[in-house]
Amino acid sequence: MSLKNILENWSNYRRDREAGGHHEYEHMWGMAIDLNKCIGCNACAVACYAENNLAIVGKEKMTKKQGMHWMRIERYWGEPDLDKLSQSSSQYQEHGANFLPMMCQQCNAATCEPVCPVAATFHTPDGLNAQVYNRCIGSRYCSNNCPYRLRYFNFYSYYESSWPAPLHLQLNPDLSVRDKGVMEKCTFCIQRIRVAKDKARMEDRVEKEAAVIKVGDSTFRAAAGRGKLEDMEFQTACQQTCPTGAIVFGDMLNPESQVRKLWDGHQVSLGKTKQTKQNPEKRGYRVFEALNTDPCVMYMERVREV
Amino acid sequence: MSKHRIMGLFSDFDQAFAAVADIRAYKIPGVSVDDVTIKSPIEHPEIEEVLGERPAHVPKFTLMGALFGMTFGFLFLASAQATFLVQPQGGKPVVPLPSNIVLTYEMTILFGVLFTIISFVIGSRIVRKRDTLYSEMVSLDQVGVLLEVDEGKAQALKDLFKAHEVVEIREEVVR
Amino acid sequence: MQTKDINEQIKWAQINKDVLRSMENPRMAYWVAVGTCLAMLMCAVVAEIYQYQVGMGPANLNWPQMWGLYIATFIFWIGMSHSGTLLSAILHIVHADWRKPIYRFAEAMTTFSLMTAGLFPMIHLGRLWNMYWVLPYVSDRGIWPNFRSPLVWDAFAIFTYLTSSAMFLFIGMIPDLAICRDNAKGWRKKLYTALSLGWSGTDRQWRHFRKTYLLMACFLIPLAVSVHSIVSSDFAMSIMPGWHVTSFPPYFVAGALYSGCAAIITLFILLRYFFRFEEYMTIPILEKTCKLTFVIAMAWSYLNLIEFAATWYGHDTAAKEVLWDKFTGPYSPYFWAMLFFGSVLPFTLAFEKLRRHLPTMFVVSLLLNVGMWLERWMIVSPTLSLSYHPIAWNVLWPSMVQWAIVFGSFGWFGLLFLVFVKVFPSVSMYEVKEMVYHRRRAHVEDQAKYFHRRLSDRQPATDTPSP
Repeated sequence: MSLKNILENWSNYRRDREAGGHHEYEHMWGMAIDLNKCIGCNACAVACYAENNLAIVGKEKMTKKQGMHWMRIERYWGEPDLDKLSQSSSQYQEHGANFLPMMCQQCNAATCEPVCPVAATFHTPDGLNAQVYNRCIGSRYCSNNCPYRLRYFNFYSYYESSWPAPLHLQLNPDLSVRDKGVMEKCTFCIQRIRVAKDKARMEDRVEKEAAVIKVGDSTFRAAAGRGKLEDMEFQTACQQTCPTGAIVFGDMLNPESQVRKLWDGHQVSLGKTKQTKQNPEKRGYRVFEALNTDPCVMYMERVREV
Repeated sequence: MSKHRIMGLFSDFDQAFAAVADIRAYKIPGVSVDDVTIKSPIEHPEIEEVLGERPAHVPKFTLMGALFGMTFGFLFLASAQATFLVQPQGGKPVVPLPSNIVLTYEMTILFGVLFTIISFVIGSRIVRKRDTLYSEMVSLDQVGVLLEVDEGKAQALKDLFKAHEVVEIREEVVR
Repeated sequence: MQTKDINEQIKWAQINKDVLRSMENPRMAYWVAVGTCLAMLMCAVVAEIYQYQVGMGPANLNWPQMWGLYIATFIFWIGMSHSGTLLSAILHIVHADWRKPIYRFAEAMTTFSLMTAGLFPMIHLGRLWNMYWVLPYVSDRGIWPNFRSPLVWDAFAIFTYLTSSAMFLFIGMIPDLAICRDNAKGWRKKLYTALSLGWSGTDRQWRHFRKTYLLMACFLIPLAVSVHSIVSSDFAMSIMPGWHVTSFPPYFVAGALYSGCAAIITLFILLRYFFRFEEYMTIPILEKTCKLTFVIAMAWSYLNLIEFAATWYGHDTAAKEVLWDKFTGPYSPYFWAMLFFGSVLPFTLAFEKLRRHLPTMFVVSLLLNVGMWLERWMIVSPTLSLSYHPIAWNVLWPSMVQWAIVFGSFGWFGLLFLVFVKVFPSVSMYEVKEMVYHRRRAHVEDQAKYFHRRLSDRQPATDTPSP
């Protein structure tokens, strides 16, 4: 009975963010991206298109900003030095652009989640913002409330035009092709996560005990029976493709994982709106963390000579 | 002895009220003001003064409706949320009070309004056949005073109406 | 100069006759209006069918700007719906009897603009056919809507408001429907007999009626305020710069009352002209409405300034940038137009000469509503064009599909309203009678000469004793 449910579990339901709400985690997938290593080659974006059945919308719709690039390489130029620029023949700056690969930040206090009227986007026990395509009715509020603008909407039906035969044969069978009117975004390659988790379970690699794990300032209640995955047991498509290895992906709840070590090494922690660093030279930062979205992706600032 | 239903139609409202006031003063023995039904084209708070206090139970139902809406609304929302644990959201409690207050507020008003309307429809005895002594002049500009009296008192009542410049008297006999 | 709200010597039979006449024998102009509205509606229907088939792409939305004119126009219509019922309820509670000749069409306007507004959240959905998922119904899969979402609050609020205001309109109309029933023939007789619910004007019915109407008025005032506050939380609950504003709920409510009052003036003048309601929709009543509109306009302007000041002196740089962009950026012509129509133009309402000049008031009221529509657009689009992430900065011009649907919504509203005025009495007959009845009792011929007069009026004859 739901009423009984409420009365018995009231305090449980009211539990706050530090304890992860009424939520037992299995994993907390996170990323660390080294911008020093990023060369802006866009291979990650291409890999993402191939892996996740992203629709190819064509040049015209792309310029109208109706593209579906879950992974996008953003280019930023610094303040131009106009004197130098006028002397050189190139229209670009000497240094070229700064690159920022942006994919869904899988925020722990995501702004997209509470505004969805039908609960199509929610938080999984893996610490991901899942998007249920079947449930989505396309109110697009989540995208409007995403400060990163990392959600993409199927403005048209692409399944006929995007993969003309025989290209439809290269579609990934592990996940669906989305129809018009549905919001979608980076999933941290959830299909690969699923495969790895299932494999671990089949091989009986599970943690028997529930645990309380502290990651930086956040505490997570880890569920019993969660899969015990090796670090780098699988990779996301972008990570796998990155020629310079700029992208590191892994489980933040695993103290041995590379990604956790990178976060700790850069003194960046979950559950904060402002990082308190012992050593300000550390390059790690999270995008818009002052908005208290608590993103799970850490970037390591690019260092350039002046 | 048969009963007579008599309706006098007055075009002067003050005269109609005076007639009712006479009945109230027992000018006709055995005819009480409680038997009087006034049919009026407009809403007169003055009528109440002539007729004496008559109950209308609408506010009680409104209160009941509002309270029901409030409790039902909150429990409905909270039970729905508590059974829907599959979709928790980052950083949010399962039963969020701020948003539930907003929705409970709306449910309070919705059920308050619905109960009010239902009690109006039931309490005013509105959805039923109009009695045969309905005159279309009542919806125009005349006031009708309707009474059901014994045969013997019918004439006295008609005289009283006539003394107050009644425009028309309608009568029917009921068994 | 006409100074009395209504001529208290008017015959009641005349009131019935005038109002019932307005419901009969539509003239050529009526059919032309119906045809125009139908044509406008067809534009929207065609555009919506196209959009339904193809997807939201033709609406020219994109990933930085997911909402466009649909949501802006949704707020516009919701706002328009606020004045009728809210003002009617407030004026009813404070016993302002000048509401009586004009509240009926104002409440009808409320109901119909809500019915128009309700279409927009549906139209703007990517998967329109699944819109019922927003409703909390018991499903086998145990899935519920997300009660945290302001869009679900919208659904609750609009449903409650539509139900309540439609019932408020209907209950208030029952005695009038009885009048219609007593005077109608044919299909109208059947319709009114069913709708008047057997009303016969007994004291029991009036007693319950009065309490019911008063209680509903009491409910509708906080309800109307809450509805637009909830609509404002669509924006205020988000974290976007320019939307995340604490003063949005009162700002939205003031804007809603404002556009609603302006629309009441427009329809007032139209009905007065076409139905020859000069006896009921009198110039003094129009003047009172205009004064009310002026007050609300000033409240709206004040809240606007508050918002600017709070942003300007605050520390939210992103919000400041959005504000500055509204003043100087690509949307600035519309923004300045909004400020002109919303804050400068209403000063015409402060002058008696202009207030009493119907053509001026007609144009002004339409322009005020243009300003209010621009306001809603200026809430939605500039923020989306200049959100936090620089890569998503982008200026968007809505496509023809969006414009057609917005255009057609006016046709839909007009059509509903046109049907209403020919099927239902657009002036409350029984309440005008009440007004006349009470005013006649309070009327003293000798004193009336001295009241309600201006310096410019002719002096009364000197032999009358002063009061």
